[in-house]
Amino acid sequence: MSSKKWLVTFFATLVLIGIGVLCFNFLMDPFGVFSARALEWPSYEMTMNPRTAKFTYIEKHHGEYDSYIVGCSSASSYPTQALNRYLDASFYNMFTYGADMLDVEQFCSWLLENAEVRNLVVSVYIDNALRYDTLSDPLSYAMPAELTGESPLAFYSKYLFMDPRYSKNKLLAMMRDTYLVDGFDVFNALTGSYDKRVRDAEPIGDMDSYLVGYPYFADYPHEDYTMSEEAIAGTLESLTRIRDLCREKGARLLVVCNPVYAGYWDYFDTDEIEDFYSRLAEVTPYWDFSYSSVSFEPRYFYDETHFRNCVGDMALARIFGDESIYIPDDFGAYVTAENVREHLDSLTKVRPRDEKEYTAHIPVLMYHSVNASGGGDSTVITPERFEAHMAALSQAGYTAVLPDELEAYVEAGTPLPEKPIVITFDDGYLDNYTNAFPILRKYDLRAVIFAIGATVGQTEHYKDTEFEITPHFSYEQAREMVESGLVSVQSHTYDMHQWAPYESGRARENILRWEGEDEDSYISLLTADCAAIRKALVEGTGQKRVNVMAFPSGMYDVLSQEVLQENGFDVTFGYGHASAVLIKGMPQSLLSVNRYAVSGTVSVETLLEWVSGARG
Amino acid sequence: MSFTSLSFPIFAAAAVAVYYLVPKRMQWGVLLIASLAFYCTGGGLSVGYVLYTAATVYAAARFLGRFQAEKAASPAERKKEAAAVCRRRSRLVCLAVILLNFGLLYFLKYWNFTAGLIQPLAERVFHGARVPLSRLLLPLGVSFFMFQSAGYVIDVYRGKYPPEKSFGKFLLFVSFFPQMVQGPISRYNDLASQLFAHRDLDHTDLKYGIQLAMWGYFKKLVIADRAAVLVSAVLDDPWSYGGMVQAAGVLFYCIQLYGDFSGGIDIARGAARLFGIELAENFRRPIFAASLTDFWRRWHITLGTWMRDYLFYPLSLSKPFGRLGRFARRHISGKLGRILPTSLATFIVYFVIGIWHGANFRYVAFGFWNGGWITLSLLLEEPLTRARTALHINDGALWYRLFRVLRTNLIVFLGRYMTRAPRLLTAVWMMKQALVHPRFAELADGTLMALGLGGLDFAVIALGMAVVLAAERYQEKGGCVRAALEKKSFAVQWLAIAAPLVVLLCLGVMRGDYISSDFIYKQF
Repeated sequence: MSSKKWLVTFFATLVLIGIGVLCFNFLMDPFGVFSARALEWPSYEMTMNPRTAKFTYIEKHHGEYDSYIVGCSSASSYPTQALNRYLDASFYNMFTYGADMLDVEQFCSWLLENAEVRNLVVSVYIDNALRYDTLSDPLSYAMPAELTGESPLAFYSKYLFMDPRYSKNKLLAMMRDTYLVDGFDVFNALTGSYDKRVRDAEPIGDMDSYLVGYPYFADYPHEDYTMSEEAIAGTLESLTRIRDLCREKGARLLVVCNPVYAGYWDYFDTDEIEDFYSRLAEVTPYWDFSYSSVSFEPRYFYDETHFRNCVGDMALARIFGDESIYIPDDFGAYVTAENVREHLDSLTKVRPRDEKEYTAHIPVLMYHSVNASGGGDSTVITPERFEAHMAALSQAGYTAVLPDELEAYVEAGTPLPEKPIVITFDDGYLDNYTNAFPILRKYDLRAVIFAIGATVGQTEHYKDTEFEITPHFSYEQAREMVESGLVSVQSHTYDMHQWAPYESGRARENILRWEGEDEDSYISLLTADCAAIRKALVEGTGQKRVNVMAFPSGMYDVLSQEVLQENGFDVTFGYGHASAVLIKGMPQSLLSVNRYAVSGTVSVETLLEWVSGARG
Repeated sequence: MSFTSLSFPIFAAAAVAVYYLVPKRMQWGVLLIASLAFYCTGGGLSVGYVLYTAATVYAAARFLGRFQAEKAASPAERKKEAAAVCRRRSRLVCLAVILLNFGLLYFLKYWNFTAGLIQPLAERVFHGARVPLSRLLLPLGVSFFMFQSAGYVIDVYRGKYPPEKSFGKFLLFVSFFPQMVQGPISRYNDLASQLFAHRDLDHTDLKYGIQLAMWGYFKKLVIADRAAVLVSAVLDDPWSYGGMVQAAGVLFYCIQLYGDFSGGIDIARGAARLFGIELAENFRRPIFAASLTDFWRRWHITLGTWMRDYLFYPLSLSKPFGRLGRFARRHISGKLGRILPTSLATFIVYFVIGIWHGANFRYVAFGFWNGGWITLSLLLEEPLTRARTALHINDGALWYRLFRVLRTNLIVFLGRYMTRAPRLLTAVWMMKQALVHPRFAELADGTLMALGLGGLDFAVIALGMAVVLAAERYQEKGGCVRAALEKKSFAVQWLAIAAPLVVLLCLGVMRGDYISSDFIYKQF
C-alpha cells in the first residue's frame, strides 16, 4: 500500500482503538458515573470513588430509603440497622472517604432537594476544623458534576478517556471476587456502609496481643495540629445551610461528633477545640462522642480516627436511650448553646477507666470424654480426676457460667459473678451424661456440651457403618441435662466433624472450605449444617437458643466464622492456652474464644495454676 | 516531558502539524520553538544550561571563523605568520570553550564524587573542613548536547566547515528536541542541512517515523520497563539472593538497558523522521557483535565515533604519543611494542566512556574492563590465528561465528555487573557468588516469581525479545522488514499496524500498577 494509504489506515485503526477504549470504559464504568451500566457492581465502584458511585446508586434507588447519614469515613461506623430500629426508618449511609464539610453539604442539599428525607444524620469530625474544600485526585475523589456544577462534558470525558487499566482492573476483580470483602469491594452497596464483616470478626484478645496486630497504638506518635479559621468558618457555614434546608424541608437533623482516639485528640490545642465546639453549638445542637473514656481504649478503634461499629452502636444507644446496650457513663453528651460551656469543662475531666471495669479475663476449660479409660495423655479423663478438678474449682470459689451470661456481660454490661469460669465438653459423649453430669450436679457447676448432631444417640456404630463408636448421649439424656439448668447443649456442627477412617468418601473433618472447593456450594453446605444442628438441638433438647459453636478441631477461618455469624452463631469457641478476654460493648470479643485443653493427665494443681493465672 | 508520557506523541503531532502548515522559511523556527518548549517542560530552568552551551560554542565558532577569514585575507608574504597567529588564537579559543563547557559538565556531574574523594584529605589538612557539595540537579541530556557542541567547535577549528552564522539555527542544532534527552549525538554537517531545509509533507517520512517510534515504544514499554521490575528487585538488594538469581538480574538488566536505550533512540529517530530529518544510527544490532570492538561499533555508535574522532585520533596522532610509539618500538620487543600507543589511547577512550556513564569507580572499572579485553585481543590476535590454522578451524563456520557472538555477549554481560551492582566490590562478589554459591534451586522454588513479575510478564519479555532478535537477524542478513511487509496483502499490512498498537496498549501502556520508569540514559 502507498504511504498515504498506510497513514490513513494507521490513523483509522488508532481512532478505532480509541473508540474501543471509550466503549470499554463506558461499559465497565469502574467509578460508577454512568447510570446506564451493563456491568453494574456498586460495591466495587463505591470503593473506587464513593462520591460518584453512591450518587449514581442513590439517584436510582432513593425511593427505597427515607433517611441518610452523610459525613466522612468514620461515619461508616453508625450502623444503619440500629438507626432503622430506633427511628423506624430506612437509612442509607452516604458517607464518603475524605469528605470535607463542603462535600457533605453538596450531598445533603441534593438529597433534601431531590429525595424524600425524613432524617439526616450529619457527622462532624474534629478534622473538619483543619480542612474545607480540599482538592483531590480527579477520578477517585471527584464529586458528581450534578452536585458541583462542573460542565458535564468535562466531567464525563474524564471517565470516558481515562486510562483503560481502571476498567481492566474491574474486569479482573470481577473474576477474582469472593464472598468476603476484598480490597476492591469494601462497601456494602445496600446500606452504603463499609463492609466490615471481616474486620468485625477478627480476634480481639488482651491489650498486649491486640497491640501486636495494631502496633501503631503501642507507640502512638505525638504531633501538633493547628485548626484553620478558614476551615472552621467554611464548615460552620455549610452546616448552617444544611440546618436551614432541613428546617425548610421538614427533615429531622441529627448532628454527631465522632469519637476519636485519645492520642489523636491530644494533637489539638484545648482552646482551639473549645472555640470550634462552642461555635458549633451556636449553629446546631449536637451529640458529642469525640472524647471520653472510650477514646483511651485502642481496641474500640481500627485506627486513630476510625472507631469500630460496636462503638457506633453504643453511640446510637446513648442517643436513643437504649438501655439494653452497654454504654460507658461518660460516653456521649447532648450539647446545646446553653450547656456547651459546662460540657467543655467536663471534657477536661475525662480519664481512662480501669481496664477491670470493662474487661473480664475468664478461664474456659475444654474436656472431652470422662470415663475410666482416661488418664493417659489423651482427651479422655477419668471420672475421679474430673471430680477432683470440679471439687477444687468449687472449693477455690469459682462460679461456672454459661455463654448466655458472657453475652449479657459483653452486650449489656451485666456483671459476672466473682471468679467466673466456663466448663465445656466437646463431641457429646455418653459419659458426659453418665459420669460428668452427676459430678457437675454434685458441685453445682454449670457446663456447655458441644454435641455433633449426626452422632447424637449413637452408642454402637459410627453413623450407618459397621465401625464401633464411643457411645454418644441421646436427645432424651440431653434434654434431661438441659432441664436441670446446669447444662447447655450447643453446636459442634451437625456433621462437619467426621471421623476420616470411617467415612467412605472424603471426610469433612472440620468446618473449613476444602482447597479448590466452590465457594457458593461450601457456603450452602455450612449454612445447611447450621440449620440442621439448630433444628436438632432445639427440637431434641427443648432449648430455645442455639447460638454457640465450638469449632471442630479448633479450626476456623474468616469465611467460616462469617458464615456462622450470618447463621446466628455469635459465640464461638476455639483453642488457645490463655483465658478468654471479654470486653464490654464489643460483641466480637465473643468470637473464637480461647479454651484450655484439659487432657487426662492435667493435675488439680496444674488446673488451678492455669485458671488462677486469669485475671477476673 | 517524557517520551513515554501521553503528552509526547500529542506534542510531536502538534509540532508536525504546525511544521508543515507554516511557510517553509519558518519551518526551522517551528522546530526551535518546539525544542525549547520541550526542554522547558522537562528541564524547567535548566534550559539555561542549553543556552549557555549554545552561546559559548556559537561565539567561539564565530571567533574561529573570523580568525580563518583574517588568515585568508592576509597578504601572501605574511601568510605563514598569519597562519601561526590564527592557529595560536584558534587553539586558545577552542580550548577555552571546551574547558568552559566540560568544566561545567564536570562540576554538575562529577564534583560531588570528587568532593567525596578529597574530603578525608581536606579534613586532615584544614582541620575538619567540609568540602562543599553541589546541590544542582543534572540538567536533562546535558552530556549529549555538550558532546554534540564540542564536536561542532572542534570541526570548525579543524576547518571542516564554516561556523553557523545564525544563533537561532545553531541553538536549534544544539537543542533539537527528539535527540535532546538521550542522543544520538549528531554531527553538524549531517544534521544542519536537514534541520534548515524547506520541506513538503512527505507521507513516507511520516509513515517511517511512526513505524520507527512504535518499534521503539515496543522495546521500551513492553520489554524494558517490564524487565526493570526484576532488575530493581534483585540488584538493589543482591545480598538476598544466590548467584544465579543475581545473574538473572544482570541478564534482565542487559535486556532492560538495550530495550530502553535503543527503544528511546528509535523513538527519537522516529520523531525526527516526522519532520523529514534522519538522525544518525546509534545501534546496529549489537547482540550480533562478533568481538568487543565490533560491539562498540554497534552499541551507542554516535558516542563511539565521537570518541574516535575527537579523542582517539587526536591522542594517537599527538606528538607525545608519536614519541611514545617510537620509544616502545625501540625498547619493547614483539607486538606489545607496536601496539602500545594504540592500546594506551584505547584505554583512555574507554576510561572516558566509563566515566561518561557516571561518577563512580564502577564505571571506571567498566571502562578498564572494555579497554583491557580489547588490548588483550590485539595482543593475542596472532597466536590465536596461528592456533586456528593449526586446529583447522574455519573462520566462516556457523558454529565458530556463534561461538564468537556468545563470547562477546558473555564479556558484555559480565561488564554489566559493574555498571549495575550497588558497588564495585559487590559486583565482584556477585560474580564470585555465581560460581561459589549459585543456589540453582532459587530459579525454580518460586524466588523468581516473587520479584514483581508474573508468569505473563516473563512470557512477554521472552516473546518480545524473540521478536526483536528475529527482526534483527533478518536485518543482519540484509533484509528490510518494512520492504518485506510492503509486498504483503492489505490484510497483513493492516494487521502489522493494528497488532502492534494493541500490543502497545495492552502490554505497554496498560501494564500493571507501576508507572513507566524514566529512561535510564536520560541523566547521562
